[in-house]
Amino acid sequence: MKTDFFEITTDALDVGAIARRVVPKTCGAIVTLDGFVRQFTKKRETLYLEYEAYEPMALKEMEKLIAQAYEQFEIANVGVVHRLGKMEIGETSVVISVAAPHRRAAFEACEWLIKELKRTVPIWKKEVYRDGEIWIEGEKQSAEN
Amino acid sequence: MKVQVLFFGATAEMVGERKIEINAKTGAKTGDVFRQIIADFPQLEKHSLLFAVNQEYSKGTETIKNGDELAIFTAVSGG
Repeated sequence: MKTDFFEITTDALDVGAIARRVVPKTCGAIVTLDGFVRQFTKKRETLYLEYEAYEPMALKEMEKLIAQAYEQFEIANVGVVHRLGKMEIGETSVVISVAAPHRRAAFEACEWLIKELKRTVPIWKKEVYRDGEIWIEGEKQSAEN
Repeated sequence: MKVQVLFFGATAEMVGERKIEINAKTGAKTGDVFRQIIADFPQLEKHSLLFAVNQEYSKGTETIKNGDELAIFTAVSGG
């Protein structure tokens, strides 16, 4: 039975609990990405981040990514949860958990999912520094494809 | 025809609004509306922009329908 999920929340993320939700009995591995707020980007110190989303579109894009992951990888379940709002250094902003019968597919699918999420899912981060703040803009790309 | 245009993050700050409503001509393409908005808010021009129509990425080729929800935003940066 599929137990995929894709969610957006302003609550703190419990990485372990999210990972457990994707484990069927037929699987031998879960790979979980815990993406959290980094303090230093190159030499610049971040104080905190603020995330916002175009929520209904973001959820649609997350659902599409999960469907595309199943086409490419031998995986059993996927969970993707992105947090929004203000996050302090070290707080988890995104969790992607992939369960698979064998580990290789889980690693590959997890890497593919975060790469695509950062390219296509309409969520943005604002980095706040001691001396200013900036909305981070992704790479020039073709997310519309 | 009335359509809504949404802005997020950097584009919301540049435009000073999160949502505007505009009148579009019958038969107009979404790309015509996007170009008009960029002309009205030239501060958008130097950014790498993405466009959506009714919560799907758009290349600007759809014909505008009354009540469409358009969005203009910078390249995404979640994760």
